Amino acid sequence: MNVDNVRSQMRKGMLEYCILLLLHKEASYASDIILKLKEAHLIVVEGTLYPLLTRLKNDNLLAYEWVESTQGPPRKYYTLTPDGELFLQGLEEAWSELSNTVNHIKNN
Amino acid sequence: MKKTFTVNLNGTVYHIDEDAYELLDNYLSNLRIHFSKEEGAEEIVHDMEARISELFSERLKEGKQVITIVDVEEIIAQMGKPEDLSDDEPMEKESPVNSSEKERGPKRLFRDADNKVLGGVCSGVAAYMGWDITITRLIFLILGFFVKGFIIVYIVMWFVIPEATTATEKLFMKGIKANVKNIGETVTEGFEKVNDVVRSEQTKSTMQKIGEGIVNVAGFLIKCILVIAAVCAAPILFILLIVFFSLLMATTGVIAATPSILYEIMPHVDWTFLSTSPTGAVILALCGILIIGLPIIGIIHILMSTFGGWRPMSVGTRIAFICIWFFALCGALYLLFILNAPFIWQNVNF
Repeated sequence: MNVDNVRSQMRKGMLEYCILLLLHKEASYASDIILKLKEAHLIVVEGTLYPLLTRLKNDNLLAYEWVESTQGPPRKYYTLTPDGELFLQGLEEAWSELSNTVNHIKNN
Repeated sequence: MKKTFTVNLNGTVYHIDEDAYELLDNYLSNLRIHFSKEEGAEEIVHDMEARISELFSERLKEGKQVITIVDVEEIIAQMGKPEDLSDDEPMEKESPVNSSEKERGPKRLFRDADNKVLGGVCSGVAAYMGWDITITRLIFLILGFFVKGFIIVYIVMWFVIPEATTATEKLFMKGIKANVKNIGETVTEGFEKVNDVVRSEQTKSTMQKIGEGIVNVAGFLIKCILVIAAVCAAPILFILLIVFFSLLMATTGVIAATPSILYEIMPHVDWTFLSTSPTGAVILALCGILIIGLPIIGIIHILMSTFGGWRPMSVGTRIAFICIWFFALCGALYLLFILNAPFIWQNVNF
């Protein structure tokens, strides 16, 4: 057992939830998401995001549309699908349950 | 001074140093291998390429013009190596794996082009048997001097044993299991090797130097002998060439004369159509030349690419040759039989 090991696993579990949260607020393209996740110290290497986005898209939780950009080629802007919104609600419940559990154990 | 390439990354053109290009190319193919099991692998890699392109353009904003290897190294660190991206087996790299502890897999005999002196046969055999390369070379050399015909065995092996060109083949050669991680390491190691050669003198043991010296001399001698043999054989080759051309001419003649000859063989076919339709005759002759000529050209090409240093035929050319040959065959058969079907049936029924 190793602290880093557990920490990285916890982060990985969180990652999907956080991506959905970010996209729930506003549609964004991959580099925006990376910037925000990096601000939150949630990812170390950027490459982790791309397979995740594609997987979520293939699971029909995300959709994207091409938006023209002033600074280069068009970008993929990801948004939540209705399925994604439902999924996010489920995750939110799970998360509050988890944090309640941890707080409960910590404080008693 | 460095050579640069121009690359198109997600629709934007960048100038990139040669070594940086190779590193980036390796990285992207490693990513492709890494994600190959996943659904939408191409899309993932494409999105990552788009991101790399963005990072490049950020780096070029400060008046720089060329992407260097340092840029690519930093961007790879930022994007993450393929082994950092797998979420199924988290943080497995904590236990460093030595090359000797790599998973073993099936072994196959290949020629080792990375360590070759002449044809890479010795290095390939050494890798296959797990022997030391230098000692294998010495054994081969001694055998070559004392055993009659061993040089021919060597040359035959040179032609028969395939060369390990891809990373997978190189792993098979050493009997290391070809999984994503090992392939990645091989690709990266290959790159580092290129760099080492460019940047610093390779360090070699005295034994290796002596061995390689001997083998270099022997290799040179063998090459000389081969060249002399080729020169001696040149008149014979020339005669063979003339024979071949006369055969070709004769074949053409035969094809042109098919109506009379074939009439003897196949009396059921209405050959008069050849005299009534000159187009048919020309097409039939053309088909005949192609049917006989293409395989001959193919054989010559194979011989010349093995012995004469011609570039091997590309896959496209091969397929085109096969298709043309097939069409010619179909055309000839069509002309001979289908067009004459009523006539043939008439005759057969009689």
